[in-house]
Amino acid sequence: MNKKNIPQMAGAALIAAFAIFPFVYSANDYPYIMHILITGFFYAILASSWSMLAGYAGQFSFGHMGFMGIGAYTTALFSHYLYLTPVPTNLCTEFPIGDMYLIILDPIGITSSTLTQDCLRQALDIWDGSVQVTPMPVWLGIALGTMMGGIFGLLIGLLVLPLRAAYLALFTLGFSEILRATVSAEIAVTRGQAGIELPYLFDNGITLFGHQFDKTDKLPPYFAMFFLLLACLGILTWLAKSKFGLFVRALREDEDAAAALGVNTVRYKVLVFVITSMMAAAAGAMMAHYIRIISPNNLIILQMSLVVAMAVIGGVEHFVAAALGAILLEYMLEYLRNSFEIGPIVVDMTTWRLVVFGILLMLTLRFSPKGLLVPMIDYFKRGHVRKETMAKRNAENTP
Amino acid sequence: MTNLVVHDLHKRFGGLQVLKGVEFEINGAELIGLIGPNGAGKTTLTNILDGAIKPNSGTVYLNGVRIDQLAPYQVAKVGLGRTFQVTRSFRRMTVLENLYVPAMALDRGYSKARIAEKAMEILEFLTIDHLRNEYAQALSGGQQKLLELGRLLMHDPEVIILDEPFAGVHPSLMEIIYNYINRVNESGKAIILISHQMDSIFTLCKRLLVLNGGVLIADGPPDEVKRDPTVIEAYLGTDEDEDMHHDAQASQA
Repeated sequence: MNKKNIPQMAGAALIAAFAIFPFVYSANDYPYIMHILITGFFYAILASSWSMLAGYAGQFSFGHMGFMGIGAYTTALFSHYLYLTPVPTNLCTEFPIGDMYLIILDPIGITSSTLTQDCLRQALDIWDGSVQVTPMPVWLGIALGTMMGGIFGLLIGLLVLPLRAAYLALFTLGFSEILRATVSAEIAVTRGQAGIELPYLFDNGITLFGHQFDKTDKLPPYFAMFFLLLACLGILTWLAKSKFGLFVRALREDEDAAAALGVNTVRYKVLVFVITSMMAAAAGAMMAHYIRIISPNNLIILQMSLVVAMAVIGGVEHFVAAALGAILLEYMLEYLRNSFEIGPIVVDMTTWRLVVFGILLMLTLRFSPKGLLVPMIDYFKRGHVRKETMAKRNAENTP
Repeated sequence: MTNLVVHDLHKRFGGLQVLKGVEFEINGAELIGLIGPNGAGKTTLTNILDGAIKPNSGTVYLNGVRIDQLAPYQVAKVGLGRTFQVTRSFRRMTVLENLYVPAMALDRGYSKARIAEKAMEILEFLTIDHLRNEYAQALSGGQQKLLELGRLLMHDPEVIILDEPFAGVHPSLMEIIYNYINRVNESGKAIILISHQMDSIFTLCKRLLVLNGGVLIADGPPDEVKRDPTVIEAYLGTDEDEDMHHDAQASQA
């Protein structure tokens, strides 16, 4: 077996393991473990896409959770405020679309709840059950959230064109904080700190593998998030192996030299922002439907730091390593919640787990700056390079 | 035939006038030395030629295309390539990947196999083919200079600017760089060579441009430029100056 293929084979085995896990695991904590894995997949999408942005392209952005929030809030507002009815309400703002009417509810702040907001509630009272009100499809909200992430990624990508290193980091941090402050302040529309509720990812349940799953079951969202992660990793792999990957790495190494060699640095810098922002937004939109609420707390800088730490510990210059780092750390952070006893002393790990996490991050940065997984991948992928170099040099020097 | 026309270039940074009406023309595969003291405006001129900065006034045409307002990547596509004073290899990319960047960016319609083949030919010529899969950061300073020159061969531009290609290079690699310059020039490319190593400049170049204080003070064959009193005063100095310099050093010692 070729040593170089071992990482790919390990990856395939891991994908297979995650695919069959929900069917073979049957312990009592099944919903809890499934929740951890779904959350792990969510962070894996964020960490791997951030790895493409920061690790491959050298654009050290702190705005990634902001893009995640844009995806989440777009689908939240879309599903919260828009409905379809076959007849006009004559009370709400509404537009005919084909043989239906698009109803836009009035923003009424934290006292509102889904489907019972002023104008529509009045209409429902008048109709007295004779008219069917259709919520907007969840998949359309996720698609819109993804697109919105791309649009904001384009804007931010254009704005940060002249910025590098710390200036880029500070700018994107500012963007993320502005976004968080805006959704906090716009209580009438976003319900502020109370957060905005969303419908289930599969609100009417779903049939999978010949089995009907309820909207609260963990398996459908598990596979939804898992496939989104695989799709993102597939796209990132394809990009990394194409000239896009070559150019963004050249961009990271030396923007001026890349431009002097014919690379349209503006195009690739903006493109990498758009693509990775769309991935973060898609993950945010799907996660918001899974946890069914999005609030400004999801956008705090601590969350961004968590994504950065996951990518760094896995390996920021390898998006698969970053994704694995995210899943492992999410599991570790949950596992460390368990308190334990040393003699009469009870150690409450709910607090100390973050200390353990911080120490792990510091040790990684100090002793393995490429991350914990990348050296292992390099061992298999590039272990032969030095031997080949030396062999060729020796052959040339031999008379 | 290559035709580069630089006309009345002016560049100002705040109150500092760096270029003051520089103009010259290159026709065909000339090998030209661009010399001048530090602060003469050589780097600014180079950066204007490759599109990194825009002039306040004046024009640059390459083969009939105005390039002074284009972005660097567009200038590269029109046919001007350069190396940098301080070597700027893509350090965390392999040697081969470094060569693939210009080949892929300029998209000359070669297949991937042809690009790989050409890259290997270049690396063999530069004697660093055994390092093809190493990261550029593993190369010595001189080897990185060679890699930068290799990238230009992949780029294959009509006009090449070599900024201090001999700086910090081990004497054993100098010969390779000499061969490189002569071979590229003989293949029909115009080369502008910027160096403070006068021996190399006088050995290789058939024409010299001398910049001083943003003004082109001389343009002609090396023998003629060497004797030009303005150039001697501004840059080259005399043998007496050299003797005085050595005496001063000796007395300090």
